[in-house]
Amino acid sequence: MMMPEPHSDPARIVLAGLVKRYHNRPVLDHLSLSLEGGQFCILVGANGAGKTTLLRILATLTRPDEGEIQFFGEAWEPFPALRKKIGYIGHKPMFYLDLTAAENLHHYARLYHCDDPSEQIQTALHAAGLQNDQHKPVRTFSRGMQQRLSIARALLHEPEILLFDEPYTGLDQPAAQSLDRRLKDLRSPKRIILMSAHRPQRLLTIATHIAWLQNGIISHHLPVAELHTAPALQDYLQETA
Amino acid sequence: MKGFTAYLRAIWHVIQKDIRVEWRGRQGVPVMLVFSLLIVFLFNFALQLSPDLQAGLSAGLLWVSLAFASTLGLNRSVSLEHENNALDGLLLAPVDRSAIYFGKALSNFAFTFLVALILLPVFSLFYAQNMLKLPLILFILLGVGAYTSLGTLLATLSIQARTRDVLLPILLYPLALPILIAAVEGSRGALIGQPLAELQSWLFLLLASNILFHAAGLMFFETILEE
Repeated sequence: MMMPEPHSDPARIVLAGLVKRYHNRPVLDHLSLSLEGGQFCILVGANGAGKTTLLRILATLTRPDEGEIQFFGEAWEPFPALRKKIGYIGHKPMFYLDLTAAENLHHYARLYHCDDPSEQIQTALHAAGLQNDQHKPVRTFSRGMQQRLSIARALLHEPEILLFDEPYTGLDQPAAQSLDRRLKDLRSPKRIILMSAHRPQRLLTIATHIAWLQNGIISHHLPVAELHTAPALQDYLQETA
Repeated sequence: MKGFTAYLRAIWHVIQKDIRVEWRGRQGVPVMLVFSLLIVFLFNFALQLSPDLQAGLSAGLLWVSLAFASTLGLNRSVSLEHENNALDGLLLAPVDRSAIYFGKALSNFAFTFLVALILLPVFSLFYAQNMLKLPLILFILLGVGAYTSLGTLLATLSIQARTRDVLLPILLYPLALPILIAAVEGSRGALIGQPLAELQSWLFLLLASNILFHAAGLMFFETILEE
């Protein structure tokens, strides 16, 4: 019940020797990765490589079996105060379909102890372009609208760490372009963005870094500008294009 | 103190959300109510009992209706959180996760207790018994509280299972047997006018179950949700 004080250090994530097994099969096998504030890192890898598992661990939804995690320079524990620093967008939108968009956001704003929920919700809905649909049940929303609302939910509490799990899945071209624009706006020197993407080409102009998850480890982690130094990763990106 | 207020507020937000979703969808309480009323009607027509047998039968039937209706409600409560991974949304929130358990348990309790309050006058009408007695309502409060606290914990345990609709009753009914026995015995005593002093063993058993299962939720809710 006790909530430790929120961290004041700059956004920083350090993973060392991370292991996660499902049915005795290691999905993450002594994975190490370091991310700093300002990085927008694309996480690439084949289906089943462990991208979702890694993101869920960072979101405090899954506990690793072994390894060290540091958030903001301190040992990781899924404390409530830490979760206030994290925004996570998963495969599914995490909404109650019978509630309206505004009601769903109100529910989350209250849980996140937002100072001025009504104003923050209106700002979030405006940024998502959903202010005219805020009183409609989420059940009536298209996949693209639900995705935009998911991003609004994840940003309500202005997190310093943003985790996206395949956010482009199921989006049509206009919705994907709208997401591109939103992602550009979300980049900030104080924020870490880690995004898994099955087809990452469209993100190469937006992201700052790219990490390749294969065989349970991050085999490559480099700035997008230095991609030419990693021919194997370039070949992989060509294959997924 | 500030932390505890935030904890209570988080519980209230979960309850508020469940009530709002139920109000909009109306997929939980109406189904629970129709199911329990069906049991009342069917048994009334099937059994022609002498007045001295009716007290025992009414108490038994009341608890059969409530147990089954509550299980339907618990399944609905789980599927609500499973749909669209809404439970992940709750788990991501910066609140102690046991507050989510208490919020869910209390809203499940409120829905079942509401069904019980509607059922009591119907029982009075069909079984020629005055069911609106304070000692009986006390046993319903404690019995439903213990049943839904255990049920919420087990429903959460089964949330990831594909067969969760079947799994919940299989896990819940054997474990809830002491609660149901105490609730039926206490309710029967209350209906035939036994003083509470004579029913205190059942009362204490229900109180202990409430404490035990709520404490189990406080301690194990986060653990059973871990992947």
